[in-house]
Amino acid sequence: MAQIVAGFGVPHTPIFPHFVKRDGPDCEIARLFGAQQEQLAATRPDLIVMFDTDHLNTFFLNDLPIFAVGIDKDFKAPNDEPPDVPNYIVKSLPGLAAHIRAAAIGSGFDVGMTQNFSVDHSIIVPLHFLTPEMQIPVIPFFVSGHVPPLPKAQRCHDLGKAVARAIESWPDRLRVVIMGSGSFSLEVGGPRMAASRSDGVPDPDWALRVIKSLEEQKIDRLIAEATEHQLLKAGNVGGELLNWIAMLGAIGDRKPTYVAPQMQNGHAYGVWRWN
Amino acid sequence: MSVFAVNYLCRELLRDHAFRAAMKADPGKALAPLDLSDDERRALLSGDVGALYRMGANGFLMNYLARFEVCGLNREIYSQRMRAVKVDEIGQPVA
Repeated sequence: MAQIVAGFGVPHTPIFPHFVKRDGPDCEIARLFGAQQEQLAATRPDLIVMFDTDHLNTFFLNDLPIFAVGIDKDFKAPNDEPPDVPNYIVKSLPGLAAHIRAAAIGSGFDVGMTQNFSVDHSIIVPLHFLTPEMQIPVIPFFVSGHVPPLPKAQRCHDLGKAVARAIESWPDRLRVVIMGSGSFSLEVGGPRMAASRSDGVPDPDWALRVIKSLEEQKIDRLIAEATEHQLLKAGNVGGELLNWIAMLGAIGDRKPTYVAPQMQNGHAYGVWRWN
Repeated sequence: MSVFAVNYLCRELLRDHAFRAAMKADPGKALAPLDLSDDERRALLSGDVGALYRMGANGFLMNYLARFEVCGLNREIYSQRMRAVKVDEIGQPVA
């Protein structure tokens, strides 16, 4: 049977590959992703399931699911030209992806799908740092986190649980890592961006509060506080926290191995390992 | 809902390199065939991203106007104009 062996929370800032190329392996971004890369390798994963918010590239405003799974033997990335990210083809497991979707629907989650798709920086930037050889198959699970109305935090946590049940009912012996991609407080291109930046952190107190809840394993509190109002107050991409919450639902109630904040970006690097 | 057309053309700047080149060369001509209201067309051509935001256009998508430097915009001008928009606690425009 497939088993979930770890959870990761990852940022996906599109300019980070450029910064690391420019600043070298000792810069903060390289060290933080490098530490996660070591943790990930130690879990010996056969598959990554990544909860992610597409930035209107795989989907768009004419066709926007609240939840969707990418189902194909592979997918291309990136489709949004982040600087210094090569073109990748990422392997996937379409049989298991379709099983996850069917099981989630069976659990009451009306999950859409995409096939023959590509993905943007929000999936490929973390993979660029964590699995640069693209040797691990990845199933993307899309959660609408940018365009209100947003799904409720409790719903996303429950979705994570349903995805975990689906994975654990798959007969192949696979070690599965769950990832959640995104920021806790960030505004990109909107009025709350910082001067002389293309983004900003409108609610740093909230980002700290999220990190505290993760560290203290107060996930019920996090879910209760992550109202739509709070997520929108945290910035126009503040709903990306829902990807972390879905990941937490999938891995169960656990204490993190570590959560490393990067407050100037309103996000963190989180690792949950137990196996 | 022609604000959809504004959002769509912003993403087309990313996707469609021929459209990107046309917008850099002559935005008036590039926008001519698109289904935009007069107000939207005027705001786009003058790089008035604040007005477009107040009309409901998406800030994340409009950021491509700055990234690809069309309609007289660059990062700095875009930032100044967007940050001048008065918004409430959740980023919605206020009068």
